[in-house]
Amino acid sequence: EETGEDESYDFGKGDFTEHACRYCGVQNPACVVRCNVPSCRKWFCNSRGNTSGSHIVNHLVRAKHKEVCLHKDSPLGETILECYNCGCRNVFLLGFISAKTESVVVLLCREPCLSVNALKDMNWDLSQWCPLIDDRCFLQWLVKVPSEQEQLRARQISAQQINKVEELWKTNPDATLEDLEKPGVDDEPQHVAFKYDDAYQYQNVFAPLVKLEADYDKMMKESQSKDNVTIRWDIGLNKKRVAYFVFPKEDNELRLVPGDELRLRYPGDANHPAWQSVGHVIKLTAQEEVALELRASQGVPVDVNHGFSVDFVWKSTSFDRMQGAMKTFAVDETSVSGYIYHHLLGHEVEVQVVRNTLPRRFGAPGLPELNASQVFAVKSVLQKPISLIQGPPGTGKTVTSAAIVYHMAKQGQGQVLVCAPSNVAVDQLAEKISATGLKVVRLCAKSREAVSSPVEHLTLHYQVRHLDTSEKSELHKLQQLKDEQGELSSSDEKKYKALKRATEREISQSADVICCTCVGAGDPRLANFRFRQVLIDESTQANEPECLIPLVLGAKQVVLVGDHCQLGPVIMCKKAARAGLAQSLFERLVILGVKPIRLQVQYRMHPALSEFPSNSFYEGTLQNGVTINERQSSGIDFPWPVPNRPMFFYVQMGQEEISASGTSYLNRTEAANVEKIVTTFLRSGVVPNQIGVITPYEGQRAYIVNYMSRNGALRQQLYKEIEVASVDSFQGREKDYIILSCVRSNEHQGIGFLNDPRRLNVALTRARYGIVVLGNPKVLSKQPLWNSLLTHYKEHECLVEGPLNNLKQSMVQFQKPKKIYN
Amino acid sequence: NSDVDDDDGGAHVASDDDEVQVRPKVVKVDPEEEVEFDRELRALMQESLDSRKLDLRSRPTLNMMIPMNVFEGSTKDHHGRAAEGESGDETLDEDGGGVNKEVSVRVLVKRGHKQQTKQMLIPRDCSLVQGTKQKEAAELEE
Ligand SMILES: [Zn+2]
Ligand SMILES: [Zn+2]
Ligand SMILES: [Zn+2]
Repeated sequence: EETGEDESYDFGKGDFTEHACRYCGVQNPACVVRCNVPSCRKWFCNSRGNTSGSHIVNHLVRAKHKEVCLHKDSPLGETILECYNCGCRNVFLLGFISAKTESVVVLLCREPCLSVNALKDMNWDLSQWCPLIDDRCFLQWLVKVPSEQEQLRARQISAQQINKVEELWKTNPDATLEDLEKPGVDDEPQHVAFKYDDAYQYQNVFAPLVKLEADYDKMMKESQSKDNVTIRWDIGLNKKRVAYFVFPKEDNELRLVPGDELRLRYPGDANHPAWQSVGHVIKLTAQEEVALELRASQGVPVDVNHGFSVDFVWKSTSFDRMQGAMKTFAVDETSVSGYIYHHLLGHEVEVQVVRNTLPRRFGAPGLPELNASQVFAVKSVLQKPISLIQGPPGTGKTVTSAAIVYHMAKQGQGQVLVCAPSNVAVDQLAEKISATGLKVVRLCAKSREAVSSPVEHLTLHYQVRHLDTSEKSELHKLQQLKDEQGELSSSDEKKYKALKRATEREISQSADVICCTCVGAGDPRLANFRFRQVLIDESTQANEPECLIPLVLGAKQVVLVGDHCQLGPVIMCKKAARAGLAQSLFERLVILGVKPIRLQVQYRMHPALSEFPSNSFYEGTLQNGVTINERQSSGIDFPWPVPNRPMFFYVQMGQEEISASGTSYLNRTEAANVEKIVTTFLRSGVVPNQIGVITPYEGQRAYIVNYMSRNGALRQQLYKEIEVASVDSFQGREKDYIILSCVRSNEHQGIGFLNDPRRLNVALTRARYGIVVLGNPKVLSKQPLWNSLLTHYKEHECLVEGPLNNLKQSMVQFQKPKKIYN
Repeated sequence: NSDVDDDDGGAHVASDDDEVQVRPKVVKVDPEEEVEFDRELRALMQESLDSRKLDLRSRPTLNMMIPMNVFEGSTKDHHGRAAEGESGDETLDEDGGGVNKEVSVRVLVKRGHKQQTKQMLIPRDCSLVQGTKQKEAAELEE
C-alpha cells in the first residue's frame, strides 16, 4: 500500500451521470426520460429488467408521478411530453395520432381532446390513437429500450428493491439504492460472494469492507504516536534534511514502509521555539532506524537530539482509489470489456478466443530460455481474454510474466499495464521487461520519489529529470532553482508544474509498458490512459478492490499471476478479513472454475527441500530444474544428519514466553540455538547475506537480533548483517540457507500463525541450499500439516536432537493430529 | 540463449469488437408483483381519465392546424435539429435484404407558441403509420 499526493483528484469518472436510470444505471440518452415532477426530476430508462413494467413506468406508478421530459440528446431533443392541443402533460392520457395523408404525427390527450369531433374534419385520423404507454412500457420508438448488452451490464434491480427505494425517496429524495443495504453500525458486514448480479452489488459488498479496513488502518496508525524519540540529523544528496530515529513496532501492527508520511514534533525549550514538520520515510535501515526526509528544511532544531515526538500521518489515497475503481467498474461501461465484466462477476460467459497471431517463438530477447510449462503458459495466455498463472516458489514467474508482456506489447494493441501490489515486485518485473528491449516507464507514487529504487533509470521522475533536450531546458532551469532554493515563486511553481506534467505525459505516452503498483494505477497521471492489456503479478497478495484499480482502465485482456498456495493479502481489520476481504480475485476466479496454468519446474530448492512442499501444496507436480549437484554446498562443513539431505528438524523443548510488549511471543532456547546454528554456518564459510532467519513472531525476531549481537561467538558485525524477519516479509524472496524458529511451545494453546498452511509453504520454500527448522514436535504435531511435515523429516532420519556437534535422531512421540472440520 | 523471433510485429488481428455472449439468466417476474403492478397502473389511468371527464369547463378550443411548411419538402427540417444520427428517410434492414423495417415520420410539437416538426423513425408495423399507408394505397388505387 502506498500513498500519493492526489487529494484534489476527483473520481468524477466514476460518478453517476445525471441522466443515468436511478434504478439500473443505464445512461444511453435515447433510452432514458426524466420524471418532470419538480420535487423528483429523476431519470429512468425504458427497460423492464426483472420487473413487469419498464423502469420509467414503474417509477411513475409507484410514485404517482405523471409527467416526463425527453433527454436533450434524444431524437426529439429536450421535450416535455404534452398534448399538442391542450397542453395536458399526464402521460397516462397521452397518445399519438397521425395526419390522414401526410407522415405527420402528434401527441394528443385521450380526454378531452381526442373526443372533439371537429378534429375529424381537420385532416387528422382519430381511429388510430396510439397510447404513449403500452404494455407497461413507453412507446419503444420514442424512448428506446436499452440493448440486451446494456441491460446485462446494468444493475439488476428487483421489484422489491424498487418498492423499497421509492418508499425511501418519499422522505429522502436523494437516497440511493446503496442506502437500502447499508448495514447498521454494529452489524457484521455482508460476506463476499463468488458471483454477483452486477457491479453495483459487487460494490455494495466490497465498499463497506474497504471502509472498515480504512477506518481500522487510520485508527491504528494515528494511535502510533511515540514520545521521547531521539533523532540523529543528516542531510540528503538533494540537500533535504533527513532525521534518523528508531520507531519500535509490535506484532501484527504498524509496519512502516518507505513512502509513509510521519510528523516530527518538538515541544520547544528555553532556546528553541516549538517546531513540527512532516516528512516521508525514505528508507528503513538494517539497524531498524527510520530515515525521514523532511518536507521543509527551514527552522529545523538540528542542534537538539532528544525529546521529539513522532505521529503517523494517515492518508486515505489507496482506499479512495479502491472505492473509485469499484464505482468506475459499475457505472462506466468502457472501464473493462463486456467479457471481462461478466467474467469477473461470475456470470456464465461463452468461451472467447483472442484472435491474435501467435509468435513463432515464445521466449523474449534478454531473458533466459523458457521451459515447457513456461512456453505453454505464454502461449495460452496470449489467446485468452482472462488467464491465471500459478507460479509456485522458484518457478520463474517473473521471467514468464516478462515474456508475456513482451509479446503483448508486440501485438500493437497499445500500451501494456503491468502491476503488482508491492513496489519490490513491480521493480523486479520492470527490470526484466526492460531487459527485453521494450520501453518501460516505472511510475512511482510522488511520496516515493526520494526512495531509492533498483530501477531508478526506468522511473518516470528520473526520466523527466534526465531528459536532456533543449526544449526541456526551461524545466531544467526551474528544477535546479527549486533544488537550490527549496521552493519557487508561485508563478514559477505554476510554470514548473505545467512543464513537468507535459514532460511526464510525453514520456509516459512513448513507453511500450507502464509499470506501477496496483494502487499506483489509480494515479491521476494515468487518468487519461487506456490499457487493453493488463498483467498483475503477485495478484494473490492483493485484495479484490486493489486488483480492480488497474483493470478499470479499459482492460480487454487480463493476466493474473500469483500463487494462491502462498500467503494472501494482508488485511488488518479482523472484521473485514472474516467477511472475505482477504480472499484475492485470483482465488475467487479459481473457485469459479478458471483453471490456473501452473508453472511446474522449480529452480530454487535442493531437490530434497522441494519434495515436501511439492507433495503437500502442489499435488506432487513440482519438478526440479536443479540437480542435487547444483545445490551441493561444496566446502561448507555443516553437520547435516543425512549428507545428501541438507535439512533437519531440530527438536526444541524450551518454553515460550510472552514478550515484554505483552503482544508477542519469544522462546529463549530456540534463540540460543539459532545463534549456534548461525555461528556454525559462518565458521564453515557461509557469508551473512546467504542466511535468513525466519520467525513468525516479532517478539522472537527482536530477541534473536538482540541475542546474536550480544552473545554471538564471532564478530558482532557479522550477526548484524543477517536478515531476521517474519515469514510474510520473506515471501517472494530466497536465501541460500534458512533457519526457521517456530517459537510456540505450549500444551494447551494453539500454534497461532503457524496454523496457516500457506505460511508454512512460504517458510519452507525460501531456501536454496539448506533448511533448519526449530520447534517442539509435541505441540506442532497436533496440527495435521505439521504432523505430516514431522513425519516426513522423521522418515528421512532428519528429526534430531542433542548438541549441534552431536545430533542424534529423536524418538519424541507425536500427538494425534486433530481432524480438520470444514 | 535468446530463442526469439523479433520479426513478429506484422499482421496481428487486433479485434476491437467487444462481443460477449453471456448466458442469459431466466428472468422471472413474480406473478403477484405483476398483478399488483397492473392494478396500480390501471387505477392511475382511470383516475387520470376521471379527473379530466369531471372537469367539464375544460372543453378545449381546437388549435390543431398542421402548419403549412410541413407539407412543403418532405425531408427538410425547418428548425435546425434533424433527427440525430438517424437522418435519411428510411433505414435499410440490417441484413441488407432491402426490406425497410422503419419509416420516417415528422412529429409535430409546440415550442412555446411556435410549431416545430422533428423527424423520427418508427416501425413500419406501427398502427399509426399503417393507417396512413393503407389510405395512401387506397388513394393510389382510386
Ligand atoms: Zn418522479
Ligand atoms: Zn433502468
Ligand atoms: Zn388535450
